[in-house]
Amino acid sequence: MKTVNDDNSVDVRRASWSYQAALRSAVVGGVFSVIVLVLLVVNYLQIKVLDPLRAERLEMMKVKFIGESTSTELLSEIRQLDLDIRRDRIRRQVFSRRGGYLLLGGLAVFVIGLKWTATLRKRLPMPGAVGDKQARQVRAAAMARWSVTAGLGLFAVAALIIALAPQVDLVEDVAPSYPTEEEVNKNWAGFRGPGGAGISAYTNIPVKWDGKTGEGIIWKTKVPLRGHNSPVVWEGRVFVSGAKKGKRRVYCFDVLTGGLLWTGDVTGTVTSSSGAVDVMEDTGYAAPTVATDGRRVYAIFANGDVGCFDFDGKSIWSKSLGVPDSTYGYASSLAMYQNLLLIQYDQGMEEDAKSRMIAMDGFSGQVVWEVKRPVAGSWTSPVVAKVGGQYQLITCSDPWVIGYNPTTGAQLWQAECGGADVAPSPIYAGGLVFAVSPYEHIVAVRPDGQGNVTDTHVAWSAEDGIPDICSPVSNGRLVFLLHTAGTLTCYQCADGRMLWEKDLDTSFNASPSLVGNRIYLLSTKGVMFIAEVGAEYTEIARCELGEKTQASPAFADGRIYIRAGKNLYCIGKAD
Amino acid sequence: MSSTLILILCGTALGVERFPPPDFESGYGLPQTTVPPARESVYEYADVAVLLAALSLSSYLVIRKRSRRAIFALMLFSLFYFGFWRKGCVCPIGAGQNIVLSVFDNGYAVPFVVVLVFLLPLVFTLFFGRTFCAAVCPLGAIQDLVVLKPITVPLWLESPLRLLAYLYLGAAVLLAATGSSFIICRYDPFVSFFRLSGNLNVVIIGACLLVTGVFVGRPYCRFLCPYGVILRQLSRVSKWRVTITPDDCINCRLCEDSCPFGAIRESTADWPRRDYNKSKTRLAILIILLPVLTLSGALATRAASGWLSRAHPTVRLADRIYLEESGKVADTTDASLAFRGSGRQIDELYTDASNIQSKIGLGSLILGVFIGLLIGLKLIKHSIRWHRVDYEAERASCLACGRCFDYCPREQIRLKKMEEGAKDSE
Repeated sequence: MKTVNDDNSVDVRRASWSYQAALRSAVVGGVFSVIVLVLLVVNYLQIKVLDPLRAERLEMMKVKFIGESTSTELLSEIRQLDLDIRRDRIRRQVFSRRGGYLLLGGLAVFVIGLKWTATLRKRLPMPGAVGDKQARQVRAAAMARWSVTAGLGLFAVAALIIALAPQVDLVEDVAPSYPTEEEVNKNWAGFRGPGGAGISAYTNIPVKWDGKTGEGIIWKTKVPLRGHNSPVVWEGRVFVSGAKKGKRRVYCFDVLTGGLLWTGDVTGTVTSSSGAVDVMEDTGYAAPTVATDGRRVYAIFANGDVGCFDFDGKSIWSKSLGVPDSTYGYASSLAMYQNLLLIQYDQGMEEDAKSRMIAMDGFSGQVVWEVKRPVAGSWTSPVVAKVGGQYQLITCSDPWVIGYNPTTGAQLWQAECGGADVAPSPIYAGGLVFAVSPYEHIVAVRPDGQGNVTDTHVAWSAEDGIPDICSPVSNGRLVFLLHTAGTLTCYQCADGRMLWEKDLDTSFNASPSLVGNRIYLLSTKGVMFIAEVGAEYTEIARCELGEKTQASPAFADGRIYIRAGKNLYCIGKAD
Repeated sequence: MSSTLILILCGTALGVERFPPPDFESGYGLPQTTVPPARESVYEYADVAVLLAALSLSSYLVIRKRSRRAIFALMLFSLFYFGFWRKGCVCPIGAGQNIVLSVFDNGYAVPFVVVLVFLLPLVFTLFFGRTFCAAVCPLGAIQDLVVLKPITVPLWLESPLRLLAYLYLGAAVLLAATGSSFIICRYDPFVSFFRLSGNLNVVIIGACLLVTGVFVGRPYCRFLCPYGVILRQLSRVSKWRVTITPDDCINCRLCEDSCPFGAIRESTADWPRRDYNKSKTRLAILIILLPVLTLSGALATRAASGWLSRAHPTVRLADRIYLEESGKVADTTDASLAFRGSGRQIDELYTDASNIQSKIGLGSLILGVFIGLLIGLKLIKHSIRWHRVDYEAERASCLACGRCFDYCPREQIRLKKMEEGAKDSE
């Protein structure tokens, strides 16, 4: 009598057709799966290794194309490579999917074959001797207790290791990501300083210097590339930008020595259009003043390229906004609000609907919000002012003065100011926004309205001494207007009554600044007019720099920074 | 081994990222991304109906029919339907997380279908034992298929390994309750195979479990499945259950190696007098130590709660932003870039993250109490002498696969196979 456990019986089963079929199915399934696997591995490597290399090459070609935008050969080469990469990528994805199904099928055959084979080879159990069951069970229980205890130990060690890892309290231990109001106010972080108001936080500003003799000049240093933008000062660093056709740079100087700490190239992106921008000589390629948040510095140029550098000169990001449609060349300076970089990108005519306001995250360059502006191109700069405890972003253009919520970009109010080719930037002082329509009028608007406030919130307007380029300055009681031709006009903030007018008999492009009750007026010839202002104009001094100037000065503790000609000057008393 | 590699690469090769859109300069606007419409709810109820039918059939096959072949056939159907066809979702194992979240988050409504999917297997287990695991769960089915050369996992190894499932369940409940993550779904080891696509790490974990499963029956079900933890407890008190023998156990020991999942327990012997006395002392000490273990567990998990809280996307993002802001990393991630483009303030993010960390810290305390208690009870369990006179499938561990039926000579008698076999041999 044979039993099912006999070796002979097992051999017979192994020789049966069903066993052989199962075994061969398993082998065929396995071999097939391995072949498909190898092909999938090759395909996978191509996706992960070869494609990135080609993509990198494509990116390099695109960057190269920036400098050779007329090369049709390079362009067609880029297009062909781009097409090849896409085609291969899609082909490989299809291959992967089909291969996956084939693999699944092969594996199914392999597993079923193996299971079948195992079933046919199965022997019925033949229990061995029982042994000392008592001792075995006692020992097993003891070992289980020890192993659970060991598990407990492992758990404790793991918890301890995790607990010992350094941890940061995100609320208590972390410094804010943007500067405090106090920090902003004591530095000169953008065009015309805190709030774009042109008011120095320090009153110990020098009143005497001479560029020819070097008296009162702490240092003078050459700025390699031209630019009409103003210096920006943050603690130990002074920043300016410079550009020419096809080259855009940011410069950082040491406030103590004037030494060039670093130069940052704004290389643009593959979509930027370097070299394709025409600007007026008086505007140049680097008219907008840079801005800083004390962590990074930001610059924008005539072709719409924006660059960001850290304080060590490392490029953090760059963006291209597209070439602006600007008659004289783009000139609006950057502004900062907390971590947001604010860009007034006005261009074209009002009906072109090309103008927009953009807020980018300073760290990453990500666009946080962007709103269309119903205005024509302008050359004004946005200002951020604290109005009734809340910050407002205030812009002036043709024809609207608009107040925005700087966090969201939501429009708060707008007032019609009129004008064309607007260059003077708005200011906020004494509870009023002052906006200028060149050659036409100045309007004072209460910025606490909603919607169109032209008929309800315009406190007053005046038509004498209206500037065409220079922005106004105000101490909250008086507002001063400086015409390019040299006329300084003083109005009373509260009611718009003109108090006096002074003809300085020279030309100005730089905007006026206030230091305490002194006004600083920098002429295009490089002469600084310093005067006590109040009921009348009382000149204190005229200081010559000896070089022509266009840009507004920057003020720091006991110092003035002036960009003139090809040089940057630091005026004051050396420490 | 080769099958593992195949499975790994099968998943990863298909999980390749999409190609970035071209840089059109012609003003061509890319079409809007469209989202496929949600599945009709009628199909969801159809899934529930299929689940109900499968559970009913499984229970019948396990308790009444006692047919391994039929159970295996139903298991294949479930693998195909709930696994490859329905892509492993929604499944009762992960559905618990939705329910937990709905309890702790008023703004989260759990669909009724999900509740049904979660509860039905529990109800069936309460009456029939783990018939869901036997032939309905696709995760169990895929592991069951690869059981080829099972070995017995010794008690000393099996016992601490089983704690992992409790840990996993505790962590899953905590993270679901705090809205951090559905880790059971995220780390579902086999869903990548059902979908032919998935995260590389998870695919590797799944493949490793399948390879292990060739030798150690259903490792995920036994040592990791958080739903299995609940099923184990319900199965202990189920009205009906799987029995190896259809009537009386004759202690023939033929079944003792038949279970690849180590669920068959042999009859027990009396402990020696000396060991018995020692065990009483040990038991007393452990009962006294139980509060200490519980407290220690709470302190340990509380200390590690910072790490645990990183499962929450907000905390992870805050950590990332902190690293970027403090210059400890030079690059950015998609998540950090998206945050920076959102206009939200970093301080606000940090405050949110801090609040979440506090919540998870509190939850970690409770988790620690649970773990400490669990380990204490496990030690106590191994200090108690259990009395068993028959070879029997342990109620909690038995997956009701029906493999042991054929090994029992009483079952053979029942099927009159023994008699027929005897006739054949003559």
